[in-house]
Amino acid sequence: MSLLIQTIVNGILVGGLFVTISLGFSLAFGVLDVVDFAVGEWVMLGAFAGVACVSWLGVDPIPMLPVVFVVFATLGWLVAPLIYRVRTSRYARPALMALAFTFGVATFARGTMLTSFGFDPRTVDIGVVHGTITIGSLHIPALRLAGFVFAAVATALFMGFLYKTRTGLAVRAVAQDKQNAGLMGINVKRISSLVYALYAGLTAMAGVLIGGIYSITAQDGPRYTLLAFFVVVLAGLGSVGGVLVAGLLLGVLQAVVTVYVSADYTLAIVFAVLFVILIVSPQGILRRGAA
Amino acid sequence: MTVLDVRELRRSFGGIRAVGGVSFSVGDQEIVGIIGPNGSGKSTLFNLLTGVVRSDSGQIHLNGRNITSWKPHRIARAGMGRTFQIPALFVNMTVKENLFASIVEGDWKAAPERADFVLDLMNLEHVPHMLAGSLSGGQQRLLEFGRVLMRDTQLILLDEVTAGVHPNLRKIILAAVRRLQADGRAFLVIEHDMEMVRTICQRVIVMDAGEIVAQGSFDEIASNKSVVEAYLGVPVE
Amino acid sequence: MTWLRALVPQTKWQATFLLVLFVFLFSLPAWGGDYWVRIFTGVTMWAALALSWNVIGGYAGYISFGQVAFFGIGAYTTGLLMQQGRDWNFFATLPIGAILAGVVAVIIGWPVLKLRGAYFAIATWALAEALMQVATAAGFTGGSSGMSLPTNSSTSFFYYVMLVAAVLTFILCYLLLERGRFGYRVKAVRDHEAAAESVGIDTTRVKIQAFVLSAVIPAVFGGIFAYWITFINPQSVLSGEITDQMVVMALVGGLGRIWGPALGAAVLYLINRQFLAVFGDTTSYIAVIGALVALIVLFLPDGLISLGSRARNMRLAQQLITRAIPRAAPPGSVDQPKTKERA
Repeated sequence: MSLLIQTIVNGILVGGLFVTISLGFSLAFGVLDVVDFAVGEWVMLGAFAGVACVSWLGVDPIPMLPVVFVVFATLGWLVAPLIYRVRTSRYARPALMALAFTFGVATFARGTMLTSFGFDPRTVDIGVVHGTITIGSLHIPALRLAGFVFAAVATALFMGFLYKTRTGLAVRAVAQDKQNAGLMGINVKRISSLVYALYAGLTAMAGVLIGGIYSITAQDGPRYTLLAFFVVVLAGLGSVGGVLVAGLLLGVLQAVVTVYVSADYTLAIVFAVLFVILIVSPQGILRRGAA
Repeated sequence: MTVLDVRELRRSFGGIRAVGGVSFSVGDQEIVGIIGPNGSGKSTLFNLLTGVVRSDSGQIHLNGRNITSWKPHRIARAGMGRTFQIPALFVNMTVKENLFASIVEGDWKAAPERADFVLDLMNLEHVPHMLAGSLSGGQQRLLEFGRVLMRDTQLILLDEVTAGVHPNLRKIILAAVRRLQADGRAFLVIEHDMEMVRTICQRVIVMDAGEIVAQGSFDEIASNKSVVEAYLGVPVE
Repeated sequence: MTWLRALVPQTKWQATFLLVLFVFLFSLPAWGGDYWVRIFTGVTMWAALALSWNVIGGYAGYISFGQVAFFGIGAYTTGLLMQQGRDWNFFATLPIGAILAGVVAVIIGWPVLKLRGAYFAIATWALAEALMQVATAAGFTGGSSGMSLPTNSSTSFFYYVMLVAAVLTFILCYLLLERGRFGYRVKAVRDHEAAAESVGIDTTRVKIQAFVLSAVIPAVFGGIFAYWITFINPQSVLSGEITDQMVVMALVGGLGRIWGPALGAAVLYLINRQFLAVFGDTTSYIAVIGALVALIVLFLPDGLISLGSRARNMRLAQQLITRAIPRAAPPGSVDQPKTKERA
């Protein structure tokens, strides 16, 4: 029994990071109208940035998190206009082409990293946070807890931005109705770039922590893309509230499967569940999405 | 002979009653107009008739056949055609291909000559190989209408077919409608343009809040108080 | 036999090109040497695979990231049937794999094709990955250690089998998609499903038919591939990289066209082999195709195949512009494309 509780707690803690990633992903979809196939690559790149912090700069990654954010937000800011341009093109099949574009970006990122770093797994060495906190019979790895705290803070800040600031209001307006938002004077293109940049930065930061909790290889991008898909499909693409629940749920599911079945099967089971959900309810189990 | 017979058609979405107990009919070679303020249920009615949306209750009969729960493509094959509010073209196909695609489930052998006929009628004979997506707005409407002409239909549903169309182009469409009527087809027309309604419709149905509030000739409904009220002062001079 | 007539090339250019190509391909083993024969075996296979992806992706507009599943089904079917104890004839195994893949496509396609765009992509991706996991775990497939097939060391045998299969595939797809009603149906579904329904097209049925076609082809080639490389495991016949390749080839070559995928396959396969020869592995190749896809989408969305006609179109456009300027629209003329017609 205590193993189950331990597993669930572990799952929830890591689930927080999935929430952070999926929130940005979901919002990017809402604003840009594109399913970003590169989401997992942002995670992977962030993790490798964390690795680089330690091995190249000799600095602990945690205090470098804001730097990671800025770097990847900038990258995102540069990529976003291209996505926007493809998505709003009057040419044939913009939705499909945008999908293909993000797929190309993801593949490029993966190929570059594979060439540079090879197939070996790396772990982000987070020295600042280590050890285990024991509460009763629960052993909580401090790193997982830190990850959760980070996710909670990031999510709170993100929500605060969305709901308490004027720019956030503009973002929500665009996510709901691009055409009318534009007609009301909101610079949709700017907002799209902003959202994508924020999302890239946030996801990369989460990647640093994920790289510490689990190891990372240059090939892991698609895996995290799938996990992000899982969360937003469960919650409904475009829905923010559902992502919170779905993200934690995924964390738990993953932990449970790893402990009680086998780590090799986690992906297969997630895939199977994802497939079933899509068939049964394309709008997402929690039915709050805009599908 | 009645082409279309609608009885007590109802459809609600969530708690909102989009169409409530609508009954009417369209006779052979009749042109019937449907007017009403936005949100009165006209589009939903069209979606119910074409099978895109399932009705909660009621019946629809096309040429005597009960098409109430049929799928859209089956209804189309049974003799119903329609245009869409926003021109629904096959944007990655050429003008000519669009026409061919429209008759793919019909008289395929007659396709080439029919396509030429339609191109001529719709004044598109000089752009047969242009991509439908690069046509001007008016040309797109003409092409969409032309697509409907390709098929053997007894009832054609027109959804605001002249909206935003240049007056000269409008004349072409009206002429085509009259010609088709003479050829034996009936029309059910959603319109906001009262001039068009007055010119071409033999009968007018007025909808408001999902129900029919008046039926009759244009003059009859124009002087009907409840109609004027429903529109809150739409000019009818 | 109207379909036979439909195959006759329409212009002298086309006829000459096809003739040269045929002669080149069919005579290759006589003068090419083993290395090039093997290269072209690969190219023909990928050309057909990319074409099969194009059927569901380019022509029907449903982006599938799971096509490798059918390739794997074909590979494992041939593998299992040719094992010692069963000893099936190689050619007999191919229809079995194809039928199996077709059945799976119908069963899976029914629910999955109801999904739109990205959802469909994700669902098919999920499916293929799950199948790979199953193949790795299951016993009868040999698990992750794979299975061996009987050896056949004749390079020209496999070359001709691939070539003939590819030619037949092309002819089939050409007749269905460019010459027949099916092509119109599929493209109508791609461009506007609601409009397609409104002219009587049974969109569900058309989608499933396209999906089945796009499944049966990779299955056949999977079977041939299995026998060719003599040893298969989940990584070699069920990995997502295979679908990725198909997608990229079709995209780079040109979606919704018959020759596009072949062009894309030739270009990319040769680049792939080059990278392998120069760098020893293909990781930098992955980066290159990623960049290539992004660039194609940005600057040449209709693929390499559109380069030829684009030049023609631009010339045409120029002609129209120069002709239109001095002549004003005659009075009473109805079509005035430059005036704003929308209120």
